[in-house]
Amino acid sequence: MAVSDPTVERDAALFAPIERTGWGFYLTVGVLGLAVLWGAAAYWTQFDQGLGVTGLHQPVSWGFYVTNFVFFIGISHAGTLISAILRLSKAEWRRPITRMAEVITVMVLFIGAGQILVDLGRPDRLLNVIRYGRYQSPLLWDATSISAYLTASTFYLYLPLIPDLAILRDRLGKRRFLYAVLAMGWTGTERQHKILNRAIATMAVLVIPIAVSVHTVVSFVFSMTIQPGWHSTIFGPYFVVGAIFSGIAAIIVAMAIIRRIYHFEAYLKPIHFRYLGQLLLVMTLLWFYFTFAEYLTAYYGNEPEEMKIFWAKFTGRFWPIFWAMLVLNVVVPIACLVRLRHHAIGKTVVASVAVVIGMWLERLNIIVPTLSNPRLPFPEGQYWPTWVEWGETAGSLGLFILLYVLFVKLFPIISIWEIKEGREVGLKEVEERLRTYLPDETEPEPARDRAKVLT
Amino acid sequence: MSDERSAFDRKVRAAQWGVAALAVVFIGGIVTWIAHLIRTAWRLGDVPSASIGISLVAIPVFLVLLGVIVSVFWGLLRDGGNR
Repeated sequence: MAVSDPTVERDAALFAPIERTGWGFYLTVGVLGLAVLWGAAAYWTQFDQGLGVTGLHQPVSWGFYVTNFVFFIGISHAGTLISAILRLSKAEWRRPITRMAEVITVMVLFIGAGQILVDLGRPDRLLNVIRYGRYQSPLLWDATSISAYLTASTFYLYLPLIPDLAILRDRLGKRRFLYAVLAMGWTGTERQHKILNRAIATMAVLVIPIAVSVHTVVSFVFSMTIQPGWHSTIFGPYFVVGAIFSGIAAIIVAMAIIRRIYHFEAYLKPIHFRYLGQLLLVMTLLWFYFTFAEYLTAYYGNEPEEMKIFWAKFTGRFWPIFWAMLVLNVVVPIACLVRLRHHAIGKTVVASVAVVIGMWLERLNIIVPTLSNPRLPFPEGQYWPTWVEWGETAGSLGLFILLYVLFVKLFPIISIWEIKEGREVGLKEVEERLRTYLPDETEPEPARDRAKVLT
Repeated sequence: MSDERSAFDRKVRAAQWGVAALAVVFIGGIVTWIAHLIRTAWRLGDVPSASIGISLVAIPVFLVLLGVIVSVFWGLLRDGGNR
């Protein structure tokens, strides 16, 4: 890509968030900063006085923190997994949405992994894991797979960003050093395109099994125990499905907000929401299928320890969480998504917000009822989070959104070069590909002129 | 003016190699950490087969990541050297 290419001007709107800073940006940063401060104050109180200031105790030793951990790691599947699948399947409509999905992944992985540190109470003890960690423990499998996912996702976000960084380096007067360093000497030669395209393709293939392994291993933290409600062979795929489900919902919410604030109506069209909405509907049904299978098996087995938890969720003290989860994850999405011909954006956004909240409740619903009804002869436990857990949760969410806002301020949230590539090469490729689907047509030559057109 | 320009380019170049080195050190550090855990399990006789089994999957993944990253940085920085 010629970095001074005048055709880039066609997408000048994509530079607006970086070039102009309005009062809305400062207001948003201020409000999010307050949430982060609340979280920091909550964490300092806990660090200073110990976990006793939280609602965590025996037997309910995991509450909001582990719920947040599973939730955030789940949301992280939004990005890289969805983006990689769409990229590998050559779904052309992916172009404006892949980066905003990849950014979600990297940001929430940091926040999600941080929840474990918060839950430790004594964060200095993390050093013991580094020095004497034992691979017999699923917790260490988690640490390893999350490290791999974080590394892969960061590079998977960074690599397609390089040509855009070169555009910023040559176009903007400010932050030139930052963009020049990160652009890695990109000049858009054919050789550089070849290197980058090969690396992006390799990462797209690599990141899918890593992402699947991450949430499978997160589920192992629960299913490898013999706790009722957790000891299940379908927990791995159940968690992966739930992660992709909440991830798609998170992308849709992010897309709608960015579209509205930065006026990207020309890039994020109703058709993008419709396609993602259809994907969300499929995941709704898949998630319901797994949930149904999980609870039906427990009910049919009729084991006393399992049934205590089953009824605690259905009609006992956890019924509001359980039924709210079902309504938000199944009833609302199905009602909104079955017909998307009209008001596609509004309907998908309502369904997605419901799913994001519903999936957080699902994580809480997995963790707390089981710990409240222990298999061992402990009395039943109660869990009421204190302001410390609420503060830490608000702070984590605020930090995630703040990091996202800062990313949008510094880098193009829609890939400029991929949009350009879509116009110049994608259209031709799609036509050629369509021809091969039809009878009496031969396979086309690979698009050899891809780099030439972009250079 | 051209002196200023070349000083800027030198700084950028140094920082780029610094970023590349940081990435290599980060992934190399994780691989070293996993190797350390195997060694500790082996030394203590603490079910080293579990550590080795998991590492057989984890270490190659990190090495592939390292390979991709090194090839991209090396290729781009070498090619963009004249910029």
